[in-house]
Amino acid sequence: MAHKTSMAGLGLGLVAALALSGCSGEASDGSVTLQMVESLTNPARTEVLEGLIHEFEEENPGITVELVSPPTDQADQKIQQMLQAGEGIDVVEVRDITVGPFSTNGWLADMSGELEDWDGWTNLTENATKYATNADGATYYVPYGFYGLSLFYRTDLIEAAGFDAPPASWDELLEQASAIQDPSKNQFGYAFRGGTNANSNVVVAIEAYVADQLDPDNAFKLADGDTIFSAPEAADALETYFELFEKASPPSSVAWGYPEMVEGFSNGSTAFLLQDPEVIATVEQSDALTADQWTTAPLLTGPTGKAIQPMATAGWGTAESSEHKAEAAKLIAFLSEGDASTTFTEKNSLVPILKDAADSDFYTTGAWASYVTMNENPDTYITAVQPRDSSWWTEWIQKSDAEVQQVLIGQMTQQELLDSWDAYWTDKWKND
Amino acid sequence: MINTETNPARVIRVLVLAAWLVITVFPLYWITVTSLKEPGAIFSYPLTYWPEVFSLENYVGLFEKAQFGTYIGNSLLIATAAASVATLIAMLSAYVLARFEFRSKGALMMAFLVTQMIPAFIALGPLYLLMTQLKLVDNKFGLILIYIAICIPFCTVMLRGFFANVPDALEEAAMIDGCSRIGALFRVIVPVMKPGIVAAFIFNFVNCWNELFLSVTLMNRDQNKTIPTALNGFITSYNIDWGSMSAAAVLTIVPTMVLFAFASRYIVQGLTAGAVKG
Amino acid sequence: MTRTTIDLERPSSGTGAPGERPSDRAGAPRGSLGGSGRRRVFTTRKGVAILGFLAPAILFVSVFIYYPMISGSQMAFRNWNLTNLTDTSWVGLKNFEAIFANPVFYTVLGNTLLWVLGSIVPQLVIGFAIALWLRRRFRFRGVYQALIFFPWAISGFLIGILFRWMFNSEFGVVNDLLAKAGLIDSPIPWLAEPGTAMTAVIIANIWYGVTFFAIMILAALQSVPDELFEAAALDGAGKVRTLFQITIPYIRTTLALTILLRVIWIFNFPDIIWAMTGGGPANQTHIVTTWMINTTQRGDYGQASAIGLIVVAILLVFSAFYLMAIREKRDA
Repeated sequence: MAHKTSMAGLGLGLVAALALSGCSGEASDGSVTLQMVESLTNPARTEVLEGLIHEFEEENPGITVELVSPPTDQADQKIQQMLQAGEGIDVVEVRDITVGPFSTNGWLADMSGELEDWDGWTNLTENATKYATNADGATYYVPYGFYGLSLFYRTDLIEAAGFDAPPASWDELLEQASAIQDPSKNQFGYAFRGGTNANSNVVVAIEAYVADQLDPDNAFKLADGDTIFSAPEAADALETYFELFEKASPPSSVAWGYPEMVEGFSNGSTAFLLQDPEVIATVEQSDALTADQWTTAPLLTGPTGKAIQPMATAGWGTAESSEHKAEAAKLIAFLSEGDASTTFTEKNSLVPILKDAADSDFYTTGAWASYVTMNENPDTYITAVQPRDSSWWTEWIQKSDAEVQQVLIGQMTQQELLDSWDAYWTDKWKND
Repeated sequence: MINTETNPARVIRVLVLAAWLVITVFPLYWITVTSLKEPGAIFSYPLTYWPEVFSLENYVGLFEKAQFGTYIGNSLLIATAAASVATLIAMLSAYVLARFEFRSKGALMMAFLVTQMIPAFIALGPLYLLMTQLKLVDNKFGLILIYIAICIPFCTVMLRGFFANVPDALEEAAMIDGCSRIGALFRVIVPVMKPGIVAAFIFNFVNCWNELFLSVTLMNRDQNKTIPTALNGFITSYNIDWGSMSAAAVLTIVPTMVLFAFASRYIVQGLTAGAVKG
Repeated sequence: MTRTTIDLERPSSGTGAPGERPSDRAGAPRGSLGGSGRRRVFTTRKGVAILGFLAPAILFVSVFIYYPMISGSQMAFRNWNLTNLTDTSWVGLKNFEAIFANPVFYTVLGNTLLWVLGSIVPQLVIGFAIALWLRRRFRFRGVYQALIFFPWAISGFLIGILFRWMFNSEFGVVNDLLAKAGLIDSPIPWLAEPGTAMTAVIIANIWYGVTFFAIMILAALQSVPDELFEAAALDGAGKVRTLFQITIPYIRTTLALTILLRVIWIFNFPDIIWAMTGGGPANQTHIVTTWMINTTQRGDYGQASAIGLIVVAILLVFSAFYLMAIREKRDA
């Protein structure tokens, strides 16, 4: 009894103490606190950000920045909740797939006013400038870097299998990956993406095969306005692609998403990986691979010798509900110029947004060399824009991922998949 | 106690019990072994069931890289506070529901039962907005309040059963002696029901300690996070950091395991009507 | 939980055990309550006291559970999609129509049924067996008890992660052990194929849930008086008959209610599946609640709330039938 009452008393006391402490607001000495929320969180990147933020705070004594790092899986949802509630968020990581919905809902502030006098605009690459301003001239975010696919591969494994160069086309990939595949040794050819965002690699393969007919402003469209899924070459692409799964991938890759793919490569069990450059930093830290065992090659081409590089990006924006828009813009400007930007893109191995960074040693050697090759051959490696800012993009991802898996487990044929995707996009464009 | 048991029956019993023990404990063994391997050795093939090299690297990394100490502290604080208050409140309601008859009693019990049917997700968004209005988002106190609310229904129902088995004679005697009802409750009945109350408290504590979705939704800043949120963080970022995650898992499981072990005696005792003998 | 917990008609005197009651309501001295246990409304002072005792619980539950739930429910009748909040107009039953028209919904329902039945039957049987056998004293019983009850203390999410690692096709322990035992000659891609994925998640759930039954039933069993067993033995009843004709009927109410509660909890339990397979492959391990989470992830809170309401409706109907069924059996 005394035991229980004192326990309860302790509980109440704690609760009361917290009630008092919990209501602490911000400092009331005139200084400004910005809350910055990231979305594509990972521990290494958070560390880099903290460092940059610290520098910013030193240059701007009246401003403190608190970095909030939710786990990636829920981050976008959490950001949505915070934006909707209109509290506790000033600077936010905006992705090319979230800028559409966020701005439609009026959650993002147009920073073109605050950034009008910023001298950093001149230093931005063409792509960066293009993405920083949307069709109506508003600036909802400033990109911090770009993603772009390249082929990660194991130099030792392809040598051992008798090949003297990495595959350049999808057919060659199939050949090499199947040769390397040896399940009895737990060695596999291709890190197949069957889980979340499975659709992305499938679409890249299709795009490579229909590259000649593609509309570069909308990589899901052919020049004549039909979807890329209606082209006969798309069926060829799927044939090769799904054969990769049958002959050259670990069976569990049916459920592999980003983390599993990267892990499959970096723990040494899989020889080929198609991924963004940020993986470079991760693999460099791998305990299972040494630096001379791997490097990257340019994106795989289709039968006509061309490949489509889909642009993807993310950046920093300001919440409409923020009460410190000027300071927020200052932080964003800081992060988008000079050393801060270069440090960020180098440490996270992203394609840089600054013109002078792209020519540095860092970006022209080693695993980055393939990106140089791709940049220097824009007619072979054509950059195109996918309609990632459509408001139905997340719905598309869920639908297409499920259907890819259905093909993988034999519940749907490849042609049915193409028909379904063709119908989906044709329908959406009609209603738009 | 009837002790007749044929030999075959005994063999089966021992075998099954032993098998179940192995099955139950094996995952824990496996994850502990994984956490003690060097990070690179986790993916060694063929699998090793005992670390070739023992390493605390994963654990050290937790506290250095991931502020795990803060998370443990938060979880401890929140779970203890919420469990205590919830048990207390549940006791009050359970007492009244056990002792008295009144018109809305059935409805009330039904209302408690229905709370178990509601999938938590449906309420997440509105809950976030509500907490924002109350200025309790990203605030340990806010999370505690919600956990209290969540623990109350089942705890009340559980305690009601225990109360029903304690004869009114006890408190009536006390009240005749001049105690108020609530005084009688705490001075006379509670000591008799101690095992049951401890069982209820532990049940609540474990639920709060392990709760994931709400704490991820409501807590933003790092200093407010609880352990499950941290665990979630390890798998969803760059890659699945099995080394850190297994270390974190072990650190999460061990305290609850110790608590449960210590209290399993209480739990069974508390749930047994036999705790109150005439 | 050993006595009637939710018994809507009997007086609050606990129940179930003929002859076992420490105090028989009808005969005990009454003191301030007066009369028999069915006495109803009192003086207002007492009424206020009762309300006072109940107030904190009612307050917490209404504010933090019912209010958000009701508030969230109205989204089910609106067009509420986070990708475009400029239009949240009332659409009546459109969300529900969309759900019922979606073939995936029926797959998901089937999965849920499989999930619940496939989990609860083994949990019950194994839990019961363990509880029965734990009644005897044996040398390390205390230690044993302490060890096997721990799965309950682990969060579902962590269990999902743990078993995901163990069922990993390339590096998982399960495949390794099976191979070593000579039962398979190539690794089974557990989480990659629909049949095995469902089996794997159910196994994880069984591992987790046996404990609850074991604890509850053990406690219930300990309340069965020895005299009953002695009488049965004297009558020449064998073990199995004793079990089915004496033990089970005695603890019937507790058993029934524990099962009901577990069914509801398992139905609503997304953690393990979410962490192990995320509902895949191809929606084959999605249960209604994980599917609901999936829906919220693409921002469609309108549909997600509708699914949530459907869940509550299903469980309410089930509980109603179930409770009616046990009550009839008792009265029969």
